[in-house]
Amino acid sequence: MSIDPEISGARTEELVIEAREAQRDRKAGRIQRVGDHLRREWQIYLLLLPTIIWLLLFLYKPMYGLQIAFKDYSVFRGIADSPWIGFEHFETLFNNDQFIRAIRNTLIISVYSLIIGFPVPILLALMFNEVLNQGFKKATQTIVYLPHFISSVIIAGIVITAYSPSAGIVNTVIGWFGFDPVYFLTRPEWFRPIFIGTGIWQEAGFQSIVYLAAIAGVSPTLYESAVVDGASRWQMMWKITIPSILPTIIIMLIIRIGNILEVSFEMIILLYQPATYATADVVNTFIYRQGIQGGQYDLAAAAGLFNAVVAFVLVITANTISKRYSRTSLW
Amino acid sequence: MRKLTLASAILASTALTAPAFADGHLMIVEEPLELTIHMHWPRAQGYGVGGSPSEIYPVEMAAREMTGIHLVDQTAGRNTTDSGEAMNLLLAQGNMPDIVGGHLILQPVNEFGPQGAFVPLNDLVSEYAPNIQAFWDENPEILAAITAYDGNYYYIPYLPDGEFGRAWFIRQDWLDALGLEQPQNVDELYDVLVAFRDDDPNGNGVQDEIPYFARQWEEVNRLLTLWDARSSGSDTYHDFYVNDESQIVHPYAQVAYRDALANVAQWYEEGLIDPEIFTRGSSSRDYLLSENLGGMTHDWFASTSGYNAALAETVEGFNFIPFLPPASAAGVRMEEHRRIPVKPDGWAISYSNEHLVETIQYFDFWFTEEGRNLANFGVEGETWNMVDGEPVFTDAVLNSDRAVNSQMYDEGAQIQRGYFQDYRYEWQWTSQAAREGIELYSANDLLVPQFLGVSLNEEEQAVYDRYWPSLRTYMLERQQAWILGSGDVQEDWDDYVETLDEMGLEDVLEVMNAAYTRQNS
Repeated sequence: MSIDPEISGARTEELVIEAREAQRDRKAGRIQRVGDHLRREWQIYLLLLPTIIWLLLFLYKPMYGLQIAFKDYSVFRGIADSPWIGFEHFETLFNNDQFIRAIRNTLIISVYSLIIGFPVPILLALMFNEVLNQGFKKATQTIVYLPHFISSVIIAGIVITAYSPSAGIVNTVIGWFGFDPVYFLTRPEWFRPIFIGTGIWQEAGFQSIVYLAAIAGVSPTLYESAVVDGASRWQMMWKITIPSILPTIIIMLIIRIGNILEVSFEMIILLYQPATYATADVVNTFIYRQGIQGGQYDLAAAAGLFNAVVAFVLVITANTISKRYSRTSLW
Repeated sequence: MRKLTLASAILASTALTAPAFADGHLMIVEEPLELTIHMHWPRAQGYGVGGSPSEIYPVEMAAREMTGIHLVDQTAGRNTTDSGEAMNLLLAQGNMPDIVGGHLILQPVNEFGPQGAFVPLNDLVSEYAPNIQAFWDENPEILAAITAYDGNYYYIPYLPDGEFGRAWFIRQDWLDALGLEQPQNVDELYDVLVAFRDDDPNGNGVQDEIPYFARQWEEVNRLLTLWDARSSGSDTYHDFYVNDESQIVHPYAQVAYRDALANVAQWYEEGLIDPEIFTRGSSSRDYLLSENLGGMTHDWFASTSGYNAALAETVEGFNFIPFLPPASAAGVRMEEHRRIPVKPDGWAISYSNEHLVETIQYFDFWFTEEGRNLANFGVEGETWNMVDGEPVFTDAVLNSDRAVNSQMYDEGAQIQRGYFQDYRYEWQWTSQAAREGIELYSANDLLVPQFLGVSLNEEEQAVYDRYWPSLRTYMLERQQAWILGSGDVQEDWDDYVETLDEMGLEDVLEVMNAAYTRQNS
């Protein structure tokens, strides 16, 4: 293709000018559009504002302090004036077998909690959805929500009493079958089942609220047409309810994976003993003993930073996988 | 202020019982001087009644009149009960009050004093504080124990008085019921505990007795002393101790510990020790005594004796009394626990203080006779009177529903300023049973020297911080496992010692001994 270069040059110039003008127009247009949008929807943004301020103040501002993970931090000298020491705290951590063990325990407890604990609230929600008697439904829902509102200290007290070898209900039942009592809370092999079970008991009911809300959002017309087609309740659950709430389930799963290193360590501190450290000591309890109790904030910050980086990678990975295979994602 | 002084001067010249301070011989300043203070400790988060800065302590009012120094509250971290956290908050916020006082300040003042946060007191005290200096001259080992690695000291400590803290208690009525004598050595103790377990001393026809119990599971380790091992060198559990060769060692790395722990594990297996000792928690003493189940424990003289009165009605014949520590396998009677002569609590002067001389003179005031009485007993004529040269609490104080110490905390006495406690304060309200026990213990030579700690420099502290928390974790993990019977201490011992080595026990001991040598040179 041959073009007269002169004509072509002039033409190109024209096109460029045109394009620039168009861009300028569009820019002005976008700003205007955003402005219009804000003017129209300002109430919604106003509602968002407190959350944004909270995020900035309590999650972004403290990130400035993360630098103490790489410093020899002294509270008196302050964050800025403490000397840099590079990766020394990380070296200290990874040379400590107890830290490695704590990471392993954290992952084991989390993965088990996820595998066993994640489906429970979904099942609960599905079951509540099938209950027809409103009075019974409300009563059972309240009962399963309640443990969520009880403080960990009290839950731990209940657990310690329930598993006590002399007075606990668990050992009483075991006794009926002629077995000797077991001192559960000093046995490393029993710590994880007890801890994970307690966690599910405490939180499953409350977590089911999200799924109940999702189920409530399913269009009734789907069910009506299914009834016309002669579907059983079982079929309706499998073919309508579960596919409809699947995006919610996946979002919840991604969030859970992101929090996988955040074991509820206050509960562990209340329940563990040196005798059960082997299975019970998680990263956060390790940080607590090593860092906070000993006043080594810099070391604790390093361990916390490591935790956050791992969680970040996990969230990104889970989100990417989910986006590719199920087209549902957080962003 | 002037009015008040005038009023008390008139009072002094007219009344027969003139307050001793009225003559003003303890006055430090001519014009009243205000100093700000951070005072954070478990009973009160602030310098004022119950921690409230607006309710001024009667003791503070009296001290103002006597010295002219007015302390004004400026406490940080009022909403936490953790004094260490409050101290960190104070240091981090930068705006330091003139005086920094309260609970657990030794470690922070010795760490941040050399960095410039606190004023070294050595020269100030020797020049302006004759009463404090006199105390140091008599107790150089205490001064050595609180001195930082740079050779200076940075706080005036709270110095408890009295010797015995905990004692061995046994159900004398159970012994009587079974026709047994108080056990005099470890073998007799074994027989007594077996009898408590098997022979139904509470007479309810069920074998539900718990022979040995304790509120803190760590007290199970006191039994180690019965086989000549140690559980701790101070009133802190699992602490280091100084051995016969003047070396700092850890009790859980000694051969004696191995053999003693094997015996403790044996006792645990046989049911002589509360099977739930690790989880029963702090209410176990209440529960096991009031249910008539517990036979023997190791606990504080005063509070444990108190159960005799409290349970006189509900448990028939209840008689829980202190008895002499049974002689160990090697024939030694030892009471490992005692009141430590110096606490990590007290007060220090911050770098922002512009009245160093007045402040140290004020600190010294609390070491004068008048100041010490004020710090211990409250205001003379209000809560106590001088009777035959002895400070004696008024009947209203002694017969109140509230414990004397709680009353004193609200007066502003017995709070964690730097002062020398007077044991007469506690003796006056100690029950007869406890007094007899204390006299019994005092008459025998039972106490062992205390490890008062060492001041590590920054490098030594780094070594200690790197290794010690993990070592301690490992030691306790193994200890509980052995007592609970998962693992045998005799078989596991060599691996255990080797692991301690790999985890840096030698390094920790090395820096501690270096500091200890420096401290005592």
